[in-house]
Parts: sequence; C-alpha cells; structure tokens
Amino acid sequence: MSANYRIVGKSHPRFDAVGKVTGKAIYGTDFALPGMLHGKLCRSSQANARIKALHVDAARRMPGVRAIVTAADVPCERYGSFIKDMEVFAAERVRYIGQPIAGVVARSAAEAEAAAAAIVVEYEALPAVFDPEAALAPDAPRVHEDLLQYKAMPTVRREGNISNRARLIYGDVEAGFARSDRIFTHRYSTCMVHPGYTEPRAAVATWDSDGRYTVWSNTQLPFEAQNTLADILMVPASQVRVICTVIGGGFGGKLRLGVEHYVAVMAKACGRPVKMVTSTEEEMTTAYPRQPVIVELKTGVSADGRILAKQGRIIVDTGATSGSGVGVGSSSALILAGPYRIPNLLIEGLAVYTNKTPTGSFRAPSGPQANFAVEAQMDAIAEAIGLDPLEFRLRNILRDGDVAPNGQQLGKVSLEECLRKAADAIGWADRKPGPWRGKGIACSWWTTTSGSSGVYVKVDPDGKVVMNTGCAEIGTGALTGAAMVLAEDLGVAVDDISIVSADSTATPFDYGAQGSRTAFAVGNACRAAVVILRQQALAAAAKRLDVAEDKLTLADGKVSGEGKSLSLADIARGLQLSGGGLIAHGTFIAPPTMYDAKRSENMVITTLNSPSFHAHAAEVSVDPQTGEVRIEDYVVAQDVGFAINPIYVEGQIEGGVMQGLGQALSEEIVYRDGRVLNANLTDYKMPTAVDAPRIRSILVECPSESGPFGAKGVGEPPVIEPPATIANAVAAACGCRIADLPITAEKVATALQASPRA
Amino acid sequence: MSQHSVTRYPVSLQINGERYDVDVAPDTSLLDVLRDEFGLTGTKANCLEAECGVCTVLLDGKAVNACITLALQCQGRQILTIEGLAHGGELHPLQTAFIECGAVQCGYCIPGMILTAKSLLDTQPDPDEAAIREGLAGTLCRCTGYQKIVDAVAHAARQMNQQQSQIKTTTTGDRQ
Ligand code: FES
Ligand code: FES
Repeated sequence: MSANYRIVGKSHPRFDAVGKVTGKAIYGTDFALPGMLHGKLCRSSQANARIKALHVDAARRMPGVRAIVTAADVPCERYGSFIKDMEVFAAERVRYIGQPIAGVVARSAAEAEAAAAAIVVEYEALPAVFDPEAALAPDAPRVHEDLLQYKAMPTVRREGNISNRARLIYGDVEAGFARSDRIFTHRYSTCMVHPGYTEPRAAVATWDSDGRYTVWSNTQLPFEAQNTLADILMVPASQVRVICTVIGGGFGGKLRLGVEHYVAVMAKACGRPVKMVTSTEEEMTTAYPRQPVIVELKTGVSADGRILAKQGRIIVDTGATSGSGVGVGSSSALILAGPYRIPNLLIEGLAVYTNKTPTGSFRAPSGPQANFAVEAQMDAIAEAIGLDPLEFRLRNILRDGDVAPNGQQLGKVSLEECLRKAADAIGWADRKPGPWRGKGIACSWWTTTSGSSGVYVKVDPDGKVVMNTGCAEIGTGALTGAAMVLAEDLGVAVDDISIVSADSTATPFDYGAQGSRTAFAVGNACRAAVVILRQQALAAAAKRLDVAEDKLTLADGKVSGEGKSLSLADIARGLQLSGGGLIAHGTFIAPPTMYDAKRSENMVITTLNSPSFHAHAAEVSVDPQTGEVRIEDYVVAQDVGFAINPIYVEGQIEGGVMQGLGQALSEEIVYRDGRVLNANLTDYKMPTAVDAPRIRSILVECPSESGPFGAKGVGEPPVIEPPATIANAVAAACGCRIADLPITAEKVATALQASPRA
Repeated sequence: MSQHSVTRYPVSLQINGERYDVDVAPDTSLLDVLRDEFGLTGTKANCLEAECGVCTVLLDGKAVNACITLALQCQGRQILTIEGLAHGGELHPLQTAFIECGAVQCGYCIPGMILTAKSLLDTQPDPDEAAIREGLAGTLCRCTGYQKIVDAVAHAARQMNQQQSQIKTTTTGDRQ
C-alpha cells in the first residue's frame, strides 16, 4: 500500500533521536534555573483521619528552609476532571496515606526533605475503607461525606461511595437468558499497577511580580495543565504558561498535574524558581496507577455457540478521588461488551471511592482489566461447550457494517483478519504442542481519541520547514509520524522539518498526547496546513512566473508548471518581503461518531472513534513444580489503519505488550490496610530484558476514513490483550484458569495442587 | 546536594578525559556531582537506589550505578558518561545503531542502556541474544519492550567488529 508514497509507510528515524543518544536532551528532571530552590512534600501517614493540628514551626527553623506552604496558600478549595474532589493540600481531613498536607521550600532537596520530615501533624483517626465492594455497603465509612455538594459534570450519578454509575443497556437480558442453552457466571479481579515511566514527574515554576506563572514540566498535556493550574491558582489562564521539557515516558501517568501545582504555589510563596521531582517511593504510593477492578459476568449462549445475552458489573476502585475512574467505568462497559454481536446486553460500570491513592489513566484506561475478564470468560465458555476458542470467537465477532454494542455504526471490521493472522502465526492448529505447554488467544477493540489539533507550519527562507504543534512528544515517536505526513504532502524531505512543540503560550492548541491520537490528529492538522500553504505558494508563484495557478503544481520542494519553476525557498523569501512569510495554521477535529444515546446511561465515554481491532496469541510453558510461566512465543496482529512509520508502530506494539505482560504476570502495587508494601523497583516487578520475550508484530492495514493516509490510533491497544492472552495460554498449558491478576507462579502452583493436569 | 554544615573533602575526577576538581561531602554520590555540580545531565536519575540503571556510567571502563557510587570513591579514576561517547561530533556505533534500529523512544533509559551495552561489548565483543539480554537486565526500559534495544546492540557489535577487522588489516591503530 505504501508503494505510492514517497515517505509515509517507510521507516524513518525519529527527529529527536540524536539529542537522546548523546545525553543533550533536557528532561524535566534535568531542567534548572539560576537561583532555583527545591520543594518537598509532607504527606499523610493516615488513611482516613481528621487533622487536629499542624505544627510547622520547627520545620521552618531547619537549615536552608525558605518557605512552608499549606492549604492556606492555595486559593481554590477543590479541583478535578469529572468531579471536583481533589485538594492541593489536605485542609481538615486526609483520605489516603501519602496525601500532601504541606510543602517545604529549601536550598537543596535534602534540606527540604529533612524539614518536611520535621513537620508534625496531629490526627484523629477515622474508620477507613479499602475494599471497593465493602465501600458499597450502606453503612460503609464515607470517603467523601459531602460528595453531593462537590461541583461535577452533569452526566455523573453519585451515591454513597460511588462517584458514578454508568450503564450500557439494550434488548432484554432476562429474555436472552431464558432462550439460552447454557448460562455462565464468572468473577475476575485485577490489581493496581503503575505506568512505570523511567523519568519521575518533575517541574520547575517561576512566579513574577506581575502575577504570571511559568511552569516547565514533563506533563503530557500542557494546555490541560495550564487550565487546571489557572483553576487552582484562581488566575486567568493567560497568566499561566506551561512549557514541556523532553518527557521520559508518560503512558497516561503524566496527564494530570503531578508536581506542577506544588511548585507554582511554592514559587509564589518564596519569589524564587522552585523545582520538585517525585521520589520512587512517592511514585509507587501516590502517582496515578491503573485502577484495580472486580468484574462479574453472566453470559448466555445457544447450543451452537452464539452469545444470546450478557450481563455484567465492573467495580472500578478509583482510590480517594474519582480522577479518570468515572471515564474508566464508562469505557470498560464498551470493552466488556467486547467486539462481539450481543443481542441483549446490560453492563454496569461503578466507579467507587476507597481510602487508597488516587488512580489515573494508564495507557488504554479500562482496557486490560475489562478485556481480561471478557476474554478469559470466552475461553471458559468455549471449553465448557466443546468449541475451539478461536471458532467460538469467530461465531460471535463484529463484522463489516455491524452496529456495535453502543449503537455505533461500523464500517469495515478487520477483526477476523487479525484473529486468523495471529492464530496462523502462533500455529493454532497445534494448541498443545507438548506437556505443560499451551497457546492462548484474545482480541479486543479500541478507540482513536478525538479532540482538536492545530499546527502552525512555516517555510523558512532556506526552504526548511518548522512544524509548530501544541502536542508533546512523550516518547512514542508520534510527532515524527506527523512530520512524515507533513513532508509527504508538502513535497519536502522529513529531515527538512524541525519541530517546536508543547508550549501553552507559543504553540497552537492541541488536545494533547493522549488516547492514541497524536499521529492521527496532528498528522491531519499538518495535512490541513499544507492545503493552505499550497494555495499561498501557488498564488505567489503564479504572479512571479506569470503562469495561471491551475497550471501549477507543488512537488519536490518547488512549484512548477509550463516549463518554469520556483523553489519553496524562493517563494518563502518573496513572501517574507511582501506577505508576512509562507505560514499556515492547519486544524483538525475528528468527525463525531454517532451512537445510540438510548443505550447509554451516565456514560462519559460513549464511542470508540476510528476503532481499531486486534488479536494477540501466545505460547507459554508452565513449570509444574514452581508454577512459573514462561512465554515461548508472542504474536500481535493489530489493525493500525496505515503504518505511517512502521518501525515506531512496531515499537509501540513491543513496548505496550511488555507493559501488559507485566500486569499479566508480575506487577502489583501491594496494599495492606491502606499502606503500600512494595514502594520500590525491586519489589514492584516490571519486566527486564531477560523476562521479555520477542514479540512478532503483524501490521494489519484496514484504513480509517478520517486518519491521515488511513492511519488509526496505535499506542494504547497493545497493552490491552496480554493479560487475557496469557491467562488463556496458561489454561491451555496446565488446565488452571487464574481469575485474579497477576498470574504469579504462586497462584499457578496453588491451583495446580488443587487440580494437577498436564 | 550536601548540606552546608558538613565537612567537605576535595576530590579530583577524570570525566570524559577532562579533569574536574570539587569539594564534596562524604555522602555525596557520583550522580549528584555529575548532574548538580557539573551540569552533566546526560546521566539520568530515577530510583537512586540501584534498581533502574538509568544512572549507569563507566568507572574505569566498568558499568556502575552512579546513584550509589560515592564521589569520594572516584578520586583520580576515569569516568565515562554519555556526553563523552561521541568523538568529535561523530556518534559511537552504539549511538548510531540505537537510532537506526528504532531503539529510542522516550530516551530516558538510553544513556544508561548505551553505556551498559558498551561495557558488555568491551568484554564480550560478539555476544548472542541471551548474553545481550543478560547484560542489559539491570537497566529498566518501559517504552520499547527491549526488542529493538537488543537488536541495536547486536547490530552495533557487528559494526564494531567489522571496523575492528578493517583497522587490523589496514593499520596498526587501536581506536575502538
Ligand atoms: S537512579 Fe541509579 S539505579 Fe536508578
Ligand atoms: S526508551 Fe523510554 S524508558 Fe527506555
């Protein structure tokens, strides 16, 4: 497919590679300003308590201390995305261990830390709730007594400890169950996992006497950070400028404010630049991890293996604030329905408060948890009714032109192709290639997040091009992909393009590096900019060459026609003298996806835009003695629409799968009584180079109507299927269906003791 | 950074072939000296307790975690950081291979990864995939799934071995 294109579809090095391999790239942790001071936080030691008294005098007298800030220094009371349930500093009450109570500014981070430790907080302990199911009980301790008084989006439905109750509903599940030959009920659970970016969250802020704040940070979303900071600081957004540094990974963990608000408040308090970097312990206890969930699924099928009804409930444990959990509760309903034809459906998604750390939007929020449940159950049902798991899926999957469970009209659906390609590659015909070996498969669908993008594209007088985007490069290489789209359309080389990005004052608005949208949306904005640039260039060239505009074409860096030509450089030079230069503002907003509003109640995410389909297949071996799972082979067949930069599309798949495998097999933030027991990178086990299997990626290209050259979102999907794929492969290898993530050797060994089988 | 009340001791370090003199507290890490005193921020900081490997530098040619190496232990010793790897603007074969193989995503692990790989190839010029994975196991990468990093190290090894044999056949030079 890529044969017709000059640039897109062929692998190209990323634009920021040299700076990264030579150590010159300046990340958030590296950024410094003259006279800069350092901030640290004093955090709650209690999971739920009233603050009786706060003593900061001793800390204030510690060496090097320049300022101490508390809730009294923060203008706003509460902030938050769907529900304003977050405080910058706890004023009267703490709701989780690690909640910030005060901040210290000192000459060095060590001095600030020592002083923060010298702050004394007197607490009056209150009963806490850590289990989200227990939190549903009518007499459970309330995490937020005044929840109904908080400002919130009108869509959310709050009650008790529930921050939202969303439902996806149509047909008549009771009638569907009545017609079913078999009905299956299962329960699944997952645990809390950390995005695991290698660069901690970091920011430096300055405050000027004219009331302006400037914040340099490794946030994924400079515009959201600007607006949230303006809310918190109660100043107009124009008085806050957020500039992204180079970013050491985000994966959704750097979408919301991390330390930016603290350094902003501190910078004002002491009149000097202030820097703060989170420690690994703070990361593991108080970042924005993925929500643990509990899923109950009831599915009715006919004797020939067709799903007739599905009913389910997912409880999303959001921790002490709702954060993106409200969205997760909604999108998980779409994933739990699965990419399947289901005539009768009722899925309920509950976002529930507990006295644990606030959770967030880790890559494909809701995807891995919900997919683990739905795909593990598909396998369990297939086994019970004597159908091959692949065949059972093929009988039920969504196909071309289907109406999806949310009422969304689908175009071409590549799911069968993905399933068959993954199955063929793994050698599905031989599902049990030996004792204690087995193969598993799982599939899903996902969205390409919408939201608007704008770019300024400017041609310099030497013919080189500047692409100025409000979107940050978080490491995926997606901005290189967008630049390739720009180069293709503009007829220049990729290396002719330089990129300026992610400055809330100097770059055009962009909804940001989230939701697998960057290459898609920024790429499209670039295409829109080229349309304008072409008009400008042709008009200018027509005059200078004395050739009618419609006889001219733009290609290979020049405008030519009727045997004459003018380079873009020439045109840009001319327009600098006569018309303010060759520059365009290209914008893009994805066309809205229609859905059936009658099917969704209190859903804050209702559609999957330009949906991608994908299937993963794995072969594993299980050690019958230790229960240890080894991945022998792993295949991904993912519909990427069109692979703009194949090497980085593969890179997204390989990296995403590895995060998913971590969640499948080893990663868990372990809580006991509201306290994290493994707040370090030795006991929180992310895969190393030795644990990582080789991933075989098969790129399926079923073009999206609205993506640049047909591209769809690529970044999030690979993290979705690994837990289900591994669970199903383990079941094939040893007969044990582990329904609780992670699938540790201990759990497998225990299950094997109960029912050994090779 | 150290506190003012603590006694500081002079130390002299050879970093990337240049001499740096500084007074440090006894508990100051090599990482803090590199980043905070000398502005050599190519060496990255994360866990500060020898768990992630992003702070890896070469100390007398051996890979160490700068976060748990005391500056005072490095008196007179040779330290190579990522800033010293490219010679006269020409990238080291490992740096080129990482770019060509698509092994760089966010890049935060990459300086540590490249220096770890260099110390591996210095002792084991032709490692197989298992040896490369073993050699890199102390450095976490969350972006790439390691595959393209492993490929890049294998690719660089081939390039370096080829260069080496060319040098041997044409001159007696010993440039690595
Ligand atoms: S910062 Fe030194 S090993 Fe993590
Ligand atoms: S490239 Fe991001 S951690 Fe390795």
